[in-house]
Amino acid sequence: MRFLQPTTWAEALEARAAHPEAVAIAGGTDVMVAVNFGRLRPPVLLDLTRVAELQEWAPDDGAVRLGAGVPYARVITELGDRLPGLAMAARTIGSPQIRNRGTVGGNLATASPAGDAHPALLAADAEVEVASVRGTRRIPVTDFYTGVKRSALAPDELIAAVRITPPSGPQQYSKIGTRNAMVIAVAAFGLALHPDRGAVGTGIGSAAPTPRRATAAEEFLAGELAGLWESRGELPAATATRFGELVAEASAPIDDVRGTAAYRVHALSVMARRALTWAWAEYRTAKESRPCD
Amino acid sequence: MTELLEPRAIGRDTVRRDGEAKVRGTATYAIETPVQHPAYVHPVQATVPLGRITGIDTSAAEAIEGVVAVLTHENAERLASTDDREFAVLQSDEVAFRGQVVAVVVAETSELARQGADAVEVTYAEQPHDSALRVDHPDLYKPEKINPSFETDTAEGDVAAAMATAHVTVEETYSTAMYHNNPLEMHATTALWDPSAEVPLTLWDSTQGVHPDRAAVCEVFGLEQEQVRVICPFVGGGFGSKGTPHAHVFLATMAARAVPGRPVKLGLTRQQMFSLVGYRTPTIQRMQLAADRTGRLQAIAIDVVEQTSRIKEFAEQTGVPTRMMYASPNRRTTHRLAALDVPVPSWMRAPGECPGMFGPEVAMDELAERLGIDPVELRIRNEPERDPETGKPWSSRNLVQCLREGAERFGWADRPPAGHREGAWLVGTGVASSVYPTMRQATSTARIRYEDGRYVAEIGAADLGTGAWTVLPQIAADALDVDEGDVEVRIGDTRYPIASVAGGSSGTNTWGSALTVAAREFRTKFGRSPADGDEVSGDVDQASKDDAHAAYAFGAQFVEVRVNVDTGELRVPRLYGVFGAGRIINPRTARSQLLGGMTMGLSMALHENSVWDTRLGQVANHDLAEYHVTVNADVGDMQAHWLDEHDPYVNVMGSKGIGEIGITGTAAAVVNAVHRATGIRIRDLPVTLDKVLTALP
Repeated sequence: MRFLQPTTWAEALEARAAHPEAVAIAGGTDVMVAVNFGRLRPPVLLDLTRVAELQEWAPDDGAVRLGAGVPYARVITELGDRLPGLAMAARTIGSPQIRNRGTVGGNLATASPAGDAHPALLAADAEVEVASVRGTRRIPVTDFYTGVKRSALAPDELIAAVRITPPSGPQQYSKIGTRNAMVIAVAAFGLALHPDRGAVGTGIGSAAPTPRRATAAEEFLAGELAGLWESRGELPAATATRFGELVAEASAPIDDVRGTAAYRVHALSVMARRALTWAWAEYRTAKESRPCD
Repeated sequence: MTELLEPRAIGRDTVRRDGEAKVRGTATYAIETPVQHPAYVHPVQATVPLGRITGIDTSAAEAIEGVVAVLTHENAERLASTDDREFAVLQSDEVAFRGQVVAVVVAETSELARQGADAVEVTYAEQPHDSALRVDHPDLYKPEKINPSFETDTAEGDVAAAMATAHVTVEETYSTAMYHNNPLEMHATTALWDPSAEVPLTLWDSTQGVHPDRAAVCEVFGLEQEQVRVICPFVGGGFGSKGTPHAHVFLATMAARAVPGRPVKLGLTRQQMFSLVGYRTPTIQRMQLAADRTGRLQAIAIDVVEQTSRIKEFAEQTGVPTRMMYASPNRRTTHRLAALDVPVPSWMRAPGECPGMFGPEVAMDELAERLGIDPVELRIRNEPERDPETGKPWSSRNLVQCLREGAERFGWADRPPAGHREGAWLVGTGVASSVYPTMRQATSTARIRYEDGRYVAEIGAADLGTGAWTVLPQIAADALDVDEGDVEVRIGDTRYPIASVAGGSSGTNTWGSALTVAAREFRTKFGRSPADGDEVSGDVDQASKDDAHAAYAFGAQFVEVRVNVDTGELRVPRLYGVFGAGRIINPRTARSQLLGGMTMGLSMALHENSVWDTRLGQVANHDLAEYHVTVNADVGDMQAHWLDEHDPYVNVMGSKGIGEIGITGTAAAVVNAVHRATGIRIRDLPVTLDKVLTALP
């Protein structure tokens, strides 16, 4: 096994182009497990941890450009105010050691349907910035997941960053596991309210072959909220319940060792209803000023 | 009756003598043993669940620079004894279960050994296998005895007649999952074969008993005891899986003998442990209870179905607690096994009592519900005056006191009604009894020597992390009538006199008895002013063992659960245990043992489950990422208490053993609390969120 350690982004992209068979490694919380269990024997490992450009985040044109190598622990401590949904998701991941190593870029590259960051990224309309020696492109995260652990990343591309616009309204994230810490999700749900454009974002995790949005639920809720954004009035309970049902309907779960499909459908409806109830309560009590700048 | 030692050091919560070395990381575990220029051993495991090896090509592995040797059934030494087919490694082309070791690679580094193992090409003639335990398995058989040597079946009176005429009956089937012991320290052996040395074979093995370990290795390799030394000062947990050696010990020995003069190290991976170091069989328990209108049992019966491996029998004694727990004129227990193409099951913390206190203790709760009698009161009404199984009086039995004190501490009398709801949470409380037999092994010897103004006691015992390093000096000090600081006890080496396995919660009872005999002989022979070098040995005093009494520790566990009405998520804010376990030698280490057992019982209730894939014949979730154990975040207030119990019949310390009782009954208490909260009776462990889904509003 060859081990490549580029120190600049340009070198990394050249190495990627030269070795499309290479497996990129950042925190290693997925890759090393697969190597250790004998499921993965890549001929080449491309270590990205020495590429300084990947380790930073910065405001950029109204969005936060989050370098692919920023670990979850920093998302929590440095971006809890700007990216609340993603930070909430990050808090549910693994143990402190895992959060010190694991990265959002790695979560995207693995593209597991159970990856914890995905529902938050979907709800926030994130964009994935990918690059190769051919150039850079941005992929809406909705289009990024193409199958179980498959993504739109081309063989010569690496994930440079994720671009997330700080929200104009509240965000929520909810996850259920079979114990209270260090679990793969049985089901997860992310929600973002976008009062600036009268829209709603959702993300479903661990309940379909890929992370996915609940589009019908988003459209339903946006319609119901059309008259309420301005007044900040009370949300009818029936609306929250219907929203939960529509989220559950958008899922396509299976039975596995972590839980049954029936349970996942039920849990999603509950999490979606709860997330909406919490988010709307926060919106109603929020001051006139934008919650984030 | 025995006059108990006057407790001076006994009963004090002295700190762990090995604590500082462990915290500083200077305590040496088997795999870390500092040896010169070690080679590393990695097993190659069968990739079929049943069949024969048709060919092994080791050439690619041998071609790797740094691979020292590859051992297979074709070139491995022939063992002196192959009677135990788990121990008879690399002796034939047969594959009896997926994951069985078919070769080992010895190499300069652990990485090269692993690479070499991957490069060994094995071809198989696979045969159809059967690894699915079913209650109606066509080949169920009655074993001759159940672990370790109990009667397989017992019967008294007429259960069927009582069931037909009783006021209330319960007839339900309960099941427990397959569980893997999973101690923190993975099994490991460092081995050195030096034919020119006085003691040619040295094993640094992570074991619950250096002497039993040595005896097995001597038998298998045809060696004399004088030719083998086993060393094990520290163990990072075993839970029974290090109570007998498993295949890796013999593989490491074999590898060492293939490279004479050079030490080898074999450390199993977590995944390998799921095939190679034992596990608890899944159990299916058909329970029958019959009672009159006052709740007095008229019949109690348990019919157990469980599995063993085809190559080695282990019959978990699941029905044993039903034989003695409650009074009833009619009773029956049976055990039937299916011998499957599966890894070899073995001891896991409280074999027998742990699964065997699940079905009966849930059934008692169901009976209480049907009768409208408080489940604490129902148990008290069925308190037997004498041991129902043997008719002997109890050495001491304080189950009723444990139930009453537990109820008091827990606030049982004021518990909320069934189905009580607080906000989004359904609240339920549950109770179950605990039990574990009090044992003392027949063989153990302690040697005491006066040396430089101190008393040095040596006994080849083991400390799994339980506290033997700490409590044995307390016992020896009281037996010698000196300060604890004047006593040093050395354990974990076959150079010290023979000692029994750290198992059956019998270690302290057995080794402490031997230390006391030796101490008394020492005083008789040398008085209170010994000379430097004065030395005696003493054997565990089976002569004083009281066969006229039935000796058990008892306990009661109380649990509060909260079930979320929306998601079925389960919270356990409180888990209390009260135990009558004789005299507690050291409250600090005892509390850890009891809380640890209760935590493992909670883990069995909520999380642990080796998911068996019947198509492949292996555990699907064979790592700690997917085999969940309960963590801190899963429980709130945990408390372990004990009664001040004086039992003059068990041994000179008055101790009953506390390593295992904590795990018994816990899972039943949780299930009973979940029923109280939700109305759902979960009879198949574990309690997962989806099982309560139908009860949610």
